[in-house]
Amino acid sequence: MGKKEILLSIFFIIISMTIYVLTYQFPKQTVALSPKVFPQFVSACLFILSLVLLIQGITGVKKESEQKKVKLALNNIFLLKMLTMIILAFFYTRILMIVGFVVATPPFIAGSMLLFNEKKWFLIVTVSIVATAVLYILFRIVFKIPLPRFNLF
Amino acid sequence: MAIIQGFLYVLQPLHFMFLFLGVAGGIIVGAIPGLTASVGIILLLPLVYQLDASTAIVMLCGMFCGAMYGGSISAILLSIPGTPSAAATVLDGYPLSQKGEAGKAIGVATIASATGGIISTFCLIFIAPQLARFALKFGPEEYFALMIFGLTIIASVSGKSLVKGLIAGFFGLLVATVGLDPVTGYARFSFNIPNLMAGFPLLPVLIGLFAISQIFIQLEAVGEKIRHYKQKINKVLPSFKELKRLLPTIIASSFLGTFIGIIPGTGGTIASFLAYNEAKRWSKDPDSFGKGNILGVAAPEAANNSTTGGAMVPLLSLGIPGDVVTAVMLGALLLIGIKPGPFLFREHPEIVNSIFAGMLLANVLILLLGILSVRLFPQVLRTPDAILFPVILTLCFLGAFSLNNSVYDMSVALIFGVIGYIMRKNSFPIAPVVLGVILGPIAEDELGRALIIAHGDWTVLFQSPIAIFFYAISLLSLLYSLKMQFSTCCCSPKKGSWNY
Repeated sequence: MGKKEILLSIFFIIISMTIYVLTYQFPKQTVALSPKVFPQFVSACLFILSLVLLIQGITGVKKESEQKKVKLALNNIFLLKMLTMIILAFFYTRILMIVGFVVATPPFIAGSMLLFNEKKWFLIVTVSIVATAVLYILFRIVFKIPLPRFNLF
Repeated sequence: MAIIQGFLYVLQPLHFMFLFLGVAGGIIVGAIPGLTASVGIILLLPLVYQLDASTAIVMLCGMFCGAMYGGSISAILLSIPGTPSAAATVLDGYPLSQKGEAGKAIGVATIASATGGIISTFCLIFIAPQLARFALKFGPEEYFALMIFGLTIIASVSGKSLVKGLIAGFFGLLVATVGLDPVTGYARFSFNIPNLMAGFPLLPVLIGLFAISQIFIQLEAVGEKIRHYKQKINKVLPSFKELKRLLPTIIASSFLGTFIGIIPGTGGTIASFLAYNEAKRWSKDPDSFGKGNILGVAAPEAANNSTTGGAMVPLLSLGIPGDVVTAVMLGALLLIGIKPGPFLFREHPEIVNSIFAGMLLANVLILLLGILSVRLFPQVLRTPDAILFPVILTLCFLGAFSLNNSVYDMSVALIFGVIGYIMRKNSFPIAPVVLGVILGPIAEDELGRALIIAHGDWTVLFQSPIAIFFYAISLLSLLYSLKMQFSTCCCSPKKGSWNY
C-alpha cells in the first residue's frame, strides 16, 4: 500500500463520481427497472470501496521505504519498451485494414521480437515470415475466417 | 442412453479432429508458464466461432481439460507451474525430476489427470441434469438471486486484498453497463458513438485483460529467466504394483476435486493443495512428501483435473461459473450462442450430450497423448519468449478482429490489455473484472424481468424461499472471504506468480 494505491483510488473515485453524475441524464422510468438504477448502485459501491482504498493508501504511504528508488532506472527502460509496444500495436491495428494482413504482420512481429530482445536478424526475418504464413493458413484456409486484404480502391 | 448420440457426434472424424486439436493445443498452452487455460480458451474462441456450436464447445472443452493437465509438465521439469492449479505438483514433481524420475512423474501425472477428469465427468453426467431439472422451477427473481451468488465469487477470487478485488469486480460491472440497457433499450454512456452503443465487445475485453496484459508482463520479464530443462524423460509408465498403490489416492483425490469444483469460487488450485494435504495426512510416510513422493504428484494432479467436471456442473445446469476458467467458458458459450442453464438441457440436449462425450473423450486423449508424446510436449518449453509472445500478440489482435471484422475491436483489446496490465502490476486481480463483465448484464436483465412481472414491486425479490436461500449463501460466502482476509495469509502466492 502506498502512493500507487492513492493515485488509483483517486482515479476510481473520479470514474465512479462521473458515472453517477452522468446517470442523471437518463430518462425517468416509473415501471420496472430504470436504466439509471444499476449504474448508480455500482458506481456508489465503487466510490465507497475506492475511499476505503484511499484510506489504506494514506496509512500505508508512511511505511513506504525509499529502497524502491534503485529500481526506478530499470523500470524506466521497461516503460519505454512497453510504450513502444503499445504504439507499435496501435499502428498495426490501424494499417492492417489499409495494407492487409500479409503486408502488415511481418514488420509487426519483427518489431515485437526486437522489443523482446531478440538480436539474431536471420531468426527475426524467418519467424516473422513463417508465423505470418502459418497464421494466414490457420485463419484463412483451415477455419475460413476472412483476414484484412490490401485493396487499391 | 442419449449420451451415445453425443459419442456418435464427437467420434465423427472431423469433430474428433477438432477435439484432438483442442486437447493438444490445451496441453501446449498449459505447459507454457504465462499461459493458462483461460488464455487458451480466449485465443481459441475466434477460431471456433464460426464452427457449429457443438463442435466449437467440444473443442473448447478439449482445450480446458488439456490445459489443466499441461500445467504439470513445466511444474515437474522446471519447478514453474504452467497453470496456477499445478502449483501443488511442483512440491514433489520437481524433486522427483531432480532424482532422474521426470518420466515417471509425468507418467503418473498423466494417469492421475486422466482418471480425475473421467471420474469428474461421470459426476457431471449424473449431477448436472438433476440440478438443471430442479432449476427449471426458477423464475427471474430466483435467477437474479443466483447471479448475486455468482457475483460473490468475486470475493473469493480477490487474492490478497479483498478491497482491490471488489473494486475490480465493480469496475467490471461498470464496464458492462456501457451500451444498450437490457430492459428499456436506452444507450447508456455511449456519447452518441455508434460503437459504444453496443457496449464493449466481450471477446476483445477478455483478450485484452487476460492475454495482452500477460504479454506486457512477459515483456517486463525479458532477460530475467531462461527456461531450460536437462532431465531425461524415460520410464514413463509406473509398474502395475505401483499403480495399484497409487489408485486409492487418485480416486479419493478425484472425488475431492470434483466436490471442490462444484462449489463456486473455489477452483483447481484449492483442490490440488487440499488433495496434496490429504494424501500427506493419510500417508504412512508423510515426511517423504516434498522430497519426491510420487503420491504428491498423483493427488494434486487427479484433483485439479477433476475440478473440470465439477466446475461444469454449476455452469451447465445453473449458468453460474465455478471459477475463473469457467467464467471465461461462460463468456465463450454466450459468444457462440449457447446460454448455459436448465433450458439448455431441455432445448438443446444434443449440445449437452456432446459436451459430456467430448469431456470424457478429451480425458482419454490426455492419457494417450500424455503417454505417447511424453518427450514431444516438453519441447515447447524450449521455445524462446522472443518468438512465442510476439506470435501470440498477433494472434490476439487477429482474434479480436475476426469476430466482427472491426478495427474498433482491436483497439478495445489493446486498451483493455493496458488496463489489465496496470491492474495486475498494482495487485488488482483481473478475474473479478471478467466476472463483473459477464455476470453483470445477466443479473441486470433478470432483475428487470422480475420487476416487470411484479409491476415494479421490489419486495418480489425477497418473497421466494429459493431466492432467500441464495441471498443467505451469498452473505455466508462474503463473510467467509472476509474471515479469510483477516486470518493469516499462509497460502498467498509468491511475488511474480499468477494474479488472475
